[in-house]
Amino acid sequence: MISLPGLHLSNPTPEPPSTAESIVTRTQDLLACSEYRFEVPFTRTLTIRLLTGTAEFFGTELAPSSTYTFTGTKGAVYTWRGCKLEIGGLAESEYTSEETQMMSYANAHFALEKLRERSVQTGELGPRILVVGPENAGKTSVVKILTSYAVKAGRQPVVVNLDPRQGMLSVPGSVTAAAFSSIIDIEDSWGSSPISGPSPVPVKMPLVYHYGIANPDEGSLFRPLVTRMALAVTSRLEDDKPSRQAGFIIDTSGAISHGKGGVYENIDHIISEFSVNVLFVLGSERLYSDLARKYSNRPTEEAVSVVRLDKSGGCVDRDEAYMKQLRQAQIRAYFFGHGENTLGPHSHMADYDELNIFRIVDAASDANSSFRPGNDDDDVYGSTNNIYTKATPSPMIQNSLLAVTTAAATDSQEVIRDSSVRGYIYVADVDDVKKKVRLLSPQPGQTPSNAIILGSFPEDVPGLVS
Amino acid sequence: MSQPSAEVAADFKDALQDLKINSRPEISNLTLIAKENTEYAQAISRELENHIRTTRPEWKLPALYVLDSIVKNVGTPYTVYLGRNLYRTFMDAYTLMDPATRKAMEGLLKTWKQPVPESMDMRPVFSPEVTRDIENALIKFRTIAVQQQALSQKPGIQHNMPARPMPSVPWRNTPTPPQNATRFAAANDPRLRQVTLPYGQYPPSATPQIQSQPSISFYPQPPQAIDVEGLKASLSKLITSTQAAWALSPVDVAIQQKLKALLDLQMILNTQTLPPEQLKAAADQIQAMSPPPAPATAFTPPASIPPPVIASPQQNTSPLFPPSSTAVNIGQILANARPPVPPSPAPAATTPSLADMLRRVSSPMNSSSTPASVAPFYPPPFSAAPLPMAIPVPTAQSPALAPASATTVNLAQLLGQFSKSAATPMAPVPQPHSSFPQSQPQSSAAPLSTGDVKWLLNALKAQNLLPPGPPMSAQATPLSSEPMTRQVSANTGVHTDVDLTTASMKQPRFHLITKLYEAYPNICATCGRRFESSLEGKERKARHMDWHFKVKDPDVAKRGIHRSWYISEKEWIEYREVDEASPEQAVNGVTSATAAPKKETKDRYVPVPTDAALVHAPCPICQEKFEPQWLVEANDFVWMDAVKVNGKVYHATCWEEYSKGSSLAAPSTPDSVLGKRKAEDSIGSGKKVRAY
Repeated sequence: MISLPGLHLSNPTPEPPSTAESIVTRTQDLLACSEYRFEVPFTRTLTIRLLTGTAEFFGTELAPSSTYTFTGTKGAVYTWRGCKLEIGGLAESEYTSEETQMMSYANAHFALEKLRERSVQTGELGPRILVVGPENAGKTSVVKILTSYAVKAGRQPVVVNLDPRQGMLSVPGSVTAAAFSSIIDIEDSWGSSPISGPSPVPVKMPLVYHYGIANPDEGSLFRPLVTRMALAVTSRLEDDKPSRQAGFIIDTSGAISHGKGGVYENIDHIISEFSVNVLFVLGSERLYSDLARKYSNRPTEEAVSVVRLDKSGGCVDRDEAYMKQLRQAQIRAYFFGHGENTLGPHSHMADYDELNIFRIVDAASDANSSFRPGNDDDDVYGSTNNIYTKATPSPMIQNSLLAVTTAAATDSQEVIRDSSVRGYIYVADVDDVKKKVRLLSPQPGQTPSNAIILGSFPEDVPGLVS
Repeated sequence: MSQPSAEVAADFKDALQDLKINSRPEISNLTLIAKENTEYAQAISRELENHIRTTRPEWKLPALYVLDSIVKNVGTPYTVYLGRNLYRTFMDAYTLMDPATRKAMEGLLKTWKQPVPESMDMRPVFSPEVTRDIENALIKFRTIAVQQQALSQKPGIQHNMPARPMPSVPWRNTPTPPQNATRFAAANDPRLRQVTLPYGQYPPSATPQIQSQPSISFYPQPPQAIDVEGLKASLSKLITSTQAAWALSPVDVAIQQKLKALLDLQMILNTQTLPPEQLKAAADQIQAMSPPPAPATAFTPPASIPPPVIASPQQNTSPLFPPSSTAVNIGQILANARPPVPPSPAPAATTPSLADMLRRVSSPMNSSSTPASVAPFYPPPFSAAPLPMAIPVPTAQSPALAPASATTVNLAQLLGQFSKSAATPMAPVPQPHSSFPQSQPQSSAAPLSTGDVKWLLNALKAQNLLPPGPPMSAQATPLSSEPMTRQVSANTGVHTDVDLTTASMKQPRFHLITKLYEAYPNICATCGRRFESSLEGKERKARHMDWHFKVKDPDVAKRGIHRSWYISEKEWIEYREVDEASPEQAVNGVTSATAAPKKETKDRYVPVPTDAALVHAPCPICQEKFEPQWLVEANDFVWMDAVKVNGKVYHATCWEEYSKGSSLAAPSTPDSVLGKRKAEDSIGSGKKVRAY
């Protein structure tokens, strides 16, 4: 047992864990319709156990006899009926609040249920929901709440994450989609993608594409990936009846909600590709009025309900340092698992020429020009020969994350771009003399000869393997 | 270890003390606590025994149900601990109980002598030694009671009759089968309440509409008041007039059938001795037929009613009857009466006739003599039954109503409809009966009494065989209890009136929150997933709990687990989510092939060795110690899930894996190795830093 720094600050002598826990355990009563908000840094843990009543963590109900452990989390436990919590550990900040937006989020859920019910009866596609809003407005939290409630009501919604800054069931830099038929893991963000053994919370099966850039407004990759994702999700919903009825919920990056002069090209693109019919705008009045003006006058067959949801008072700004830690934790969890679920990744050597690395052409330099208003989609789709450049391994790629695609190295760049990701490998070490790299792979076996994408995002993760 | 043990026991005790009625959620919650704390089984068992001993008599039965639920759903080690003092626990409670509760307890005992329903394990819940003692004591007890009764000259009250034969219980999670619990079943079993409440027929007095019908004059009359000869006379008079009517309009099928029915009735009257109640009913019917102003055509043709006509004409006929007309009459009683005892020679083969009905009335009134015997009508397993039954009743009722108030014109229409429906092949009469296997044994029990009639009516009404009120609402769709159940537990599409507008989002709608919580009262204590309280929800939860056990495999940590590759786009499009709570199905190429052999493996056992060195040796593979359990089959303490190989004892599942290198093993004996609380696990893991 290695004690975590921070937990034992007061008593440096190592003690049995049980006593250490019991010292800091306290109870917290929550009135009905209030929430307990907490921030735990990555260096500490906070445990929460539900003693009486009912409580939920972003819509997912806390089990009555389980202790949940949080680390590196900014979260809130909400109760509709009042509850008593047992809290252990020290949070960076914690308080209770009775002013929440949960009622409106629940209303949103029930409004969606109405659409889903109609879908069950008529067989048409369930609600296609897009959640937009500026950074730190609580988009992902709302998506989680809506997903949890839908799952609770016995639905199987598909969640699409188009925010590369934060991974869903995968590492940052990816865009993913997964159908949720089981509860969302409370401790581990969204839960876990499949592992080779059983998991205490049912695993989710994500479809992963690699974006490799932090900002969707940069580069020429985002929209083709949206198109591709929309195609896959729509195909899935063709035959997957439970998911078809529940529809899908799209989480987005705050970056696409900034717009340029009241024009939101990426939002427009997502709405048209996914045939979105419900648009939740979080927080920003201006964004809401811009989008409502644009979408309120559409013909009925492609009508979009634009609904503004208030930002929760519990939303906190997550600074870049925290986001970076969060990303590293996600990458770490990909290889090593989360919580009790420790995973054993495999380390092996590969020759330089075994790796077919395609580096995403750095678009940062011309980011400002490539998506100016007036640039239309043809430009983006047309110039596809310079998406990637073939890269040979070098010490430069040490500590970076590589996305192993399903495309062959000989495929065209569009095919590589549109192909889903099989997994990620981490470059632990580069030996430029022997022309060898040491790779950390989730699974044993030789590195596949598939095309491997190297992007600028997520940033290097130094010291993942020591 | 003593401290957490006391803590768990105290928790359990607290929860127990809140249990005052037979509440399903509370009992399953307590069971869950017990299930997840098997390592403290002894403390919990002690707490439970204490509680049963010390709590007020009326709260003992629910507590006993907890015991029952724990031993059935968790099994060892609780069966061992609780079995030790079971005799005292049971008998102490038994002596304090009122007769009704005693019956419930006898029912409990009965189930303990059988294997857990739906379990692969064929051993009884408690070992025969344990139950036999109790049984012997009960016999003595009863003998004494009977003797006392004989002394006190009250032979009629036989509350110490042996428990009614109880069908083997078809579900596993139930604390106690409601069939055998008399008043608890009626009042407290949530499942029952669910079904019965909508009808509002409990208790008997809840159906005043029927009893207060003015025209049901025959109820209060003593059965002896029927003059058979007079009845025969008026019957033959009726026949004569009907013949005359037939002569006037020989093409009228209705009259023809009516005549035939009357003739049938006459024949029965002449050939058999009918129970007074039936005679009276027949008399009433005849009386009702005779007085109408236009006797020539106004005969009611009970005979023309094919009882189980599926294409029911109710909808058309209903408007014809004034709402005030008789809601209850011979037709109903006849049509719904219980199975045949005296096989009648009545020539009823082709035309469904009054005789047909009479035949089925055999011992009509006693079929539901006590509230207890009504209860078996509702359980969901019989949910299909009301459907076939429901239609014939209103139909049968209609013609009987007719004579009371209808004009001849209406009657003619009615008859026409009936004759039409009579043409449709009628469903075999026994069909409805077969849906009520439980009711049959009862129909030969108690003597007649006027109160019984009410009970029959109540029973019928409870099954929705009778329309709820006087206006014999023909549109009263035959509600089977199945849709009813769905309605109660359903959470979808009831009143979701939330519009997708910004303004609408801000309105508080707290009533909707129940759809997230109360609609699914059955919560999994491990992960918080909720299930409906219906039978299906129960099954789903059971599978879900099995899944929890499966993934808690302690051996897994020793096997290197790693992240799998993501599935490809095409695979993802074709992938279908697997719900662990759904019945296993071979989707996505996953099969349940491992399930069957695993069962055998973990059922292997070795007797606890006498060799001191071996007794304390852990399994060489997983280093976990064996826990002795009492195994009735072996009549010895054994280590379950164990094999002896070359003088060493291994866990059978460990050994199998080791020797075969097989795939993921299902967990072995759940209670011994898997009952760890998640709390402890996560506390431990909080400190775990991945040492890589």
